Amino acid sequence: MLDYDSSMLDYLGIKGYEELFSDIPAKVRKKSLDFEPHCSEYKLIRDATMLSESNRFDGFSNFLGCGVYDRIIPSSVDSIVSRSEFLTSYTPYQAEISQGMLQSLFEYQSLISDLLGMDAANSSMYDGPTALGEAARMAVRVNDGKTILIPDNIYRNKRSILTNYCSGLNVVFREYSFDMKTGMLDLNDLESKMGSDVAAVIVENPNSYGIIDEKVSKVKQAIGDSLLISYVDPISLGVLKTPASYGSDIAVAEGQQLGIHQNYGGPYLGVFTFRKELARKSPGRIIGETTDASGRRGYVMTLQTREQHIRREKATSNICTNQALMGIAALAYLATVGPSGLRKVALATMHQSARLKHMLSGNRKINPSPFSGTSFSDVPVLLDSDEESLESLLKAGKIFGGIKLDRIIENRYDLLKKAFFFSVTEKTEDSDLAKLVNALEVI
Amino acid sequence: MTFRQARYDEPFIKDLQSRTTFEMLSEDYDDSIVPATMRNASPNVPEIPEYDVVRHFTRLSQMNYSVDTGFYPLGSCTMKFNPKYADKIASMPLFSEIHPLRPEWSVQGTLQVMFELQEYLKEISDMDEVTLQPLAGAQGELTGVLVIRKYFELRGELSKRREIVVPDSAHGTNPASAAMGGFEVVEIPSNDEGLVDLDALRYAVTDRTAALMITNPNTLGIFDHNILEIAEIVHSKGALLYYDGANLNAILGITSPGLMGFDVVHFNLHKTFATPHGGGGPGAAPVAVRRNLADLIPGPIVRKGESGYYLDNRNSKLGKIASFYGSFGVLLRAWSYIKRNGSDDLKMNSYRAVLNANYLAKKISSDVRISHPGLKKHEVVASSEESGRRALDIAKFIIDAGMHAPTVYFPLIVKEALMIEPTETVTKKDMDDFANLIHEAVSLSPEELRALPVNTASGRLDDVKAAKELILKR
Repeated sequence: MLDYDSSMLDYLGIKGYEELFSDIPAKVRKKSLDFEPHCSEYKLIRDATMLSESNRFDGFSNFLGCGVYDRIIPSSVDSIVSRSEFLTSYTPYQAEISQGMLQSLFEYQSLISDLLGMDAANSSMYDGPTALGEAARMAVRVNDGKTILIPDNIYRNKRSILTNYCSGLNVVFREYSFDMKTGMLDLNDLESKMGSDVAAVIVENPNSYGIIDEKVSKVKQAIGDSLLISYVDPISLGVLKTPASYGSDIAVAEGQQLGIHQNYGGPYLGVFTFRKELARKSPGRIIGETTDASGRRGYVMTLQTREQHIRREKATSNICTNQALMGIAALAYLATVGPSGLRKVALATMHQSARLKHMLSGNRKINPSPFSGTSFSDVPVLLDSDEESLESLLKAGKIFGGIKLDRIIENRYDLLKKAFFFSVTEKTEDSDLAKLVNALEVI
Repeated sequence: MTFRQARYDEPFIKDLQSRTTFEMLSEDYDDSIVPATMRNASPNVPEIPEYDVVRHFTRLSQMNYSVDTGFYPLGSCTMKFNPKYADKIASMPLFSEIHPLRPEWSVQGTLQVMFELQEYLKEISDMDEVTLQPLAGAQGELTGVLVIRKYFELRGELSKRREIVVPDSAHGTNPASAAMGGFEVVEIPSNDEGLVDLDALRYAVTDRTAALMITNPNTLGIFDHNILEIAEIVHSKGALLYYDGANLNAILGITSPGLMGFDVVHFNLHKTFATPHGGGGPGAAPVAVRRNLADLIPGPIVRKGESGYYLDNRNSKLGKIASFYGSFGVLLRAWSYIKRNGSDDLKMNSYRAVLNANYLAKKISSDVRISHPGLKKHEVVASSEESGRRALDIAKFIIDAGMHAPTVYFPLIVKEALMIEPTETVTKKDMDDFANLIHEAVSLSPEELRALPVNTASGRLDDVKAAKELILKR
């Protein structure tokens, strides 16, 4: 026992630690924690390093994507988010002593809403799919209808999260279909699913087939007063029109690609943007600009009367802790990369997906271009193989990739029964593509 | 007081606009590849040299108080020291550069970490199955509420069981999560001891009740010694008992939600297990349940088989609550913390967190009224009402002196509340200094307090103006 521990116990008139727990009934006392005692920092780091080594697969080329991408991360991003003052602070409840975090998050809101072309953003949600779930909930608060139209190719995990986020609201999800020639949404089908009960329509761009969906720009005029919720790829906005330009009322995204490591699934970043008139119906923490007692510019958390700590069961969401640090990573990424860098990253990605299609088209047993639409990162490739044989073939060829489409999408189309995803980024090199072509030659 | 926080007239980031230095891609590609109908000439992002970006954020960081700066007694948030070994391990590229869809045989190290963390959490909580998926405490709660919902749906009782009961001392997330899951919230008052009023509970819990959500120790820092009776009341009506794990730091290794009779539990890894709070996130909140609920929690679960670790993609009846398997970067830090501390030091941390809370409670008791007498667990709630000083003004005095303030105005049932959680990673001197600040604060006049802070990066900020003008971007 430390000296000052015993002096504190004396001050309290207590003999030992155990007496501090005399209010806990014997019946619920835990006898022991059944695992090993403490170890040294040295041993811990040694063991962790050894464990990490079993993840080492040097020389493998990466063709995995489908929502999470291995992109170039400028060193400045890691350096900035490692600053103790950001890393080890918490929600800026005491604004005057937390201006660094507050200004950073305000800048994040500014840059991310600019990137998406939207009026406003909150200071982050957990990840892309949960942001979509919150967007659906928000749409039902804004509009009376209880139906939400969704693409029939939406990823299984997004569908499940949407369903769970809305399970308390009696929302009905109705699907619209896709045109198997272009790989884009079927506008006629979407229009036929419309009705006065539709609170919102969800579109994705690029869509779940990785196709830049040129039809999204026609959706707003087809849906009347229903809200348009867009789920976009933030990197694609280096070259693509913003969701605001095609009339989105709410636009959300997975922000992982903006300077955040893949981390085997998290932490990531839920980007959440909206039209300003909807601000009071929005979920999550929002930073606003104000002034201090002497008139200097400063920042505070605002619109807190929407939030759980004040409104409790009437709050717009239960979210409090979010992904603030990941928001700063995205901000630092956008600031470092700039418009020209973002454009380069997006164009390099598109050129490599076009090259992948082109190079694989030499193999007559493979169809890398089932759709006429343009691919962004993810390319569904039709090939005659089952999942296991393809995996062992790719393993032998030192390739990660080839995610079966119906593993991640509840597939409605015969054409895509034998589709496997291969995804590229700006890091994909021609040598990687050549390796993939070789590996698939024996199919 | 000698505290002065950095106070730069730091420009807004877009005002740093000049040119970019990003040159990691040498090749320039033409944009004819982009479909003309969707093409955008240039994204609306500022162009800034890397050195200016780094300087900007370095200066901003210097205008931000953190756990690494000093004492951070923010009640209910468990702002303990975030050990540096965990950062080091979490940034190992063989952990951080792994795509979530990589095949299982190529991520055995990662899966082992997740498996071991599941086992640790089960042992700590005395529960039977755990999902690592939920991404923060509130999402853990939503997951738990949806598990409860699914449980009654499958039993055909959902149309009847429409209510979730919460005490008036509960975290705001509890009623918010219950409402998000489609339940009506029934609030019950606390008794004079600050505990669940058993008569009120007996009255509130009926065959319409789906669950009672509570935290124990509660938000007043008091352990509810009636917990087994509470569990009996809830279970006798066929309802379930939900444990908000926000306050687990006080009792880890001493008692457990399982022993107390809870059915569903969430853990806040960023609190009890010392992962950094990141200025407001990321967190992580695994959810553990009893065996009868095991096939309802979101998957996958990591299992250990003959040929290694694998993801058990069993058909969870609930499906998913987040994209993948949880915030692995946070899970890894929590795993590191548990390994480093082990069964012995984890329990010692609870002892010392509780000792500190009780010490601090007594230290400040002559200046502010302690909300309820008796032993404290992880935190203490005081009221400044009798001192004639507003809790907010006391908070501003404390930050002006270079410490973080306690949580104020929570729990809602205590007027002018100061909610103080020292944690185990502070010294007696930190707490003595804090107590002295409380003493000094109540010695100043309300007018003197209202003029503060003056030593922080910003003077007192106008919340009302922010909400009225609603400037959310520039």
